[in-house]
Amino acid sequence: MKTLGIDVGSLTTKAVILSDNGILTSTIIMSGDEAEESARMAMEESLSQAGISINDDLYIVSTGAGAKSVSFIQQKKAITTCLARGARYLFPSSRMVIDMGAESSTVVKLNERGRVNDWAGQDKCAAGTGIFLQQMAKLMQMSLGEMSELSFKAKSRASITSTCAVFAESEVISHVHRDPPTPKEEIIAGIYYSVVSRIMTLCKRAGIEKDVALVGGVALNDGVVKTMEKELGFAVLVPDVPQIVSALGAAILAREAMEKEAS
Amino acid sequence: MTSPKGEGSDLKTIIRACRLIARMNQARPEALKSEAMYYEMLANYYDRLLNARETGDFIAAHTVFFPSEIIYAMDILPMHAETTTWMISLFSGEIAEILSAGADLGLAPEICTPHRGLAGAFSLGTLPRPDVMLWSNMVCDNTAKSGELLMKINRCPGFFIDHPFHNSEEEIAYLMGELEDMVRFLEEHSGRKMDWDRLSEVVAETDKQIELYREINELRKVVPTPFHSQGFLQLLSVDYLLAGRPEATAYLETLRQELTDMVQQGKGAVPNERFRLMSLFLPPMYLMGFLERISQEYGAVSVTEPFFTYWGEGRLNPAKPLESVAKKSYMIPEAQMYGPLDERQLTRVATLAEEYKVDGAIYYADVGCRHTCATIKTFKDVLNDIDVPVLTLDCDVVDPTVASQEEVAEKMERFFELLEDR
Repeated sequence: MKTLGIDVGSLTTKAVILSDNGILTSTIIMSGDEAEESARMAMEESLSQAGISINDDLYIVSTGAGAKSVSFIQQKKAITTCLARGARYLFPSSRMVIDMGAESSTVVKLNERGRVNDWAGQDKCAAGTGIFLQQMAKLMQMSLGEMSELSFKAKSRASITSTCAVFAESEVISHVHRDPPTPKEEIIAGIYYSVVSRIMTLCKRAGIEKDVALVGGVALNDGVVKTMEKELGFAVLVPDVPQIVSALGAAILAREAMEKEAS
Repeated sequence: MTSPKGEGSDLKTIIRACRLIARMNQARPEALKSEAMYYEMLANYYDRLLNARETGDFIAAHTVFFPSEIIYAMDILPMHAETTTWMISLFSGEIAEILSAGADLGLAPEICTPHRGLAGAFSLGTLPRPDVMLWSNMVCDNTAKSGELLMKINRCPGFFIDHPFHNSEEEIAYLMGELEDMVRFLEEHSGRKMDWDRLSEVVAETDKQIELYREINELRKVVPTPFHSQGFLQLLSVDYLLAGRPEATAYLETLRQELTDMVQQGKGAVPNERFRLMSLFLPPMYLMGFLERISQEYGAVSVTEPFFTYWGEGRLNPAKPLESVAKKSYMIPEAQMYGPLDERQLTRVATLAEEYKVDGAIYYADVGCRHTCATIKTFKDVLNDIDVPVLTLDCDVVDPTVASQEEVAEKMERFFELLEDR
């Protein structure tokens, strides 16, 4: 039995093929203008990697910002349900998932059976998102990786607001142009703290409970992960490929749907 | 559904829409008779206000949770302020102009939109100018300040009722004193005398209505529930606008009978009831059609609304009409939001969730209502403790720019999926 999960995100589209033996392939491509086209490309790439062709046996579930626009699927599922399934599959002890994506962040609280108990999200402002970090990297004239590395050298952190991405940007510019300028590592530490404190308010709304899985593209940033762990007061669980967790969850839900139909 | 802006144009829109819906319901054999009655009542309420100048009627505009029994007993026309803003949003869908006019008066975007919109509508003249403005501090501080502004905009005299928070014999006596002063104020400005026998009759009618609300609530406990998802808005509008009026009693009696019949036939309001919901605070009026559709699609239905349909214990005594009016203000469902929250209110929400077999709750977090938004976490914790998930939906009761239909749809779909997956 093979199933396909596709997560059409605002920046990237992810596809995961799940077989009885686990994850068969996973693909990440940049999202284009058309969600349908992005989803099709991600699917074809995954199928090609797996060496299989689309047939009636392949049950497909989509999720994410562009999920509704994908026509070749059997079901569409909410990102919260997919995150819960994906995180629980990878980390059976997880009771909370923090998804830090490109344009939005979502915190999902799981019950003892791994089902969604509650969630809190923010999608009104770029503060606390991957796009914000990218913007800050441009401003600091370094890559995201370099930023992360430098953040570990900070002895203190600059004060940067977490309530508005535009204000935060102005504050960073002000730190850079100060005489003498605020040390870069302190500015970066301030940026990470700003992002994390935004997410922490969501975590507190849902109610923090161990273990916590940190997923989404931002989870690739070690500096953010470290800051998050410091604020939470304990280590978080980060998958090897944190971007694909919701696509994986979609593939798991596809498998559940197939099993239900078969019974 | 729009008409050229001008004097009373917002009322004309409401009236035309209500008459149209009433006719549509009358033409549908399967429609409940009470539906047509409800819209006909609304149309008549606003029609009387629209024609008040010609008929020589005296208009008393008043804020929410106000004792309209006294106004009716004095043969004065009440105009319920906030409900009228909701009705404009609900029936015309065009609220931007009056909100913008409210902003021109210096009202910040964070201020309660029903009050901001109302100030704008009065300043534009799209509602009839009241002869007097009546307001109180119930149920929030914003109401207390808003009435003062509305009085100034309308260049009319006004009267403020200082409503005590707590419900004790001493405070009831104080409130009765306030009501007596208001009666004198109305007599002085309207030239009409209070008919105390008439007030007793109106109070007797209100008492009947409260009993009917309670009976209807009992019927809504049944699985499947017979009353449609947004039906509770009809119940609260009837009390807000038509408390003590015989046509409201007739409507509630008809509705009770129809719901009784449905219960006996095992008929639910939605074809396959799956999710029984508790509604906390008011849904966005401009999305009412959409909310009804999505509820039907997912088999979801609001079965209880602690702050809008749950009536506190007690009966009104027509032999003591003024005392009854004062006591009623502590029995109304909204009284539970009034003043500091105590353990009884929190326990009641949990009890209602269990009695009505609630699967989930939706908290309509009206961004302009700090009073209610401050309680989100408290109520959420109470409901989560008894394993009832809560969706907090950031929205505004009348302003569609705060949350689009797409945003609301996405969150509601997530929530229904959560309920299904449990």
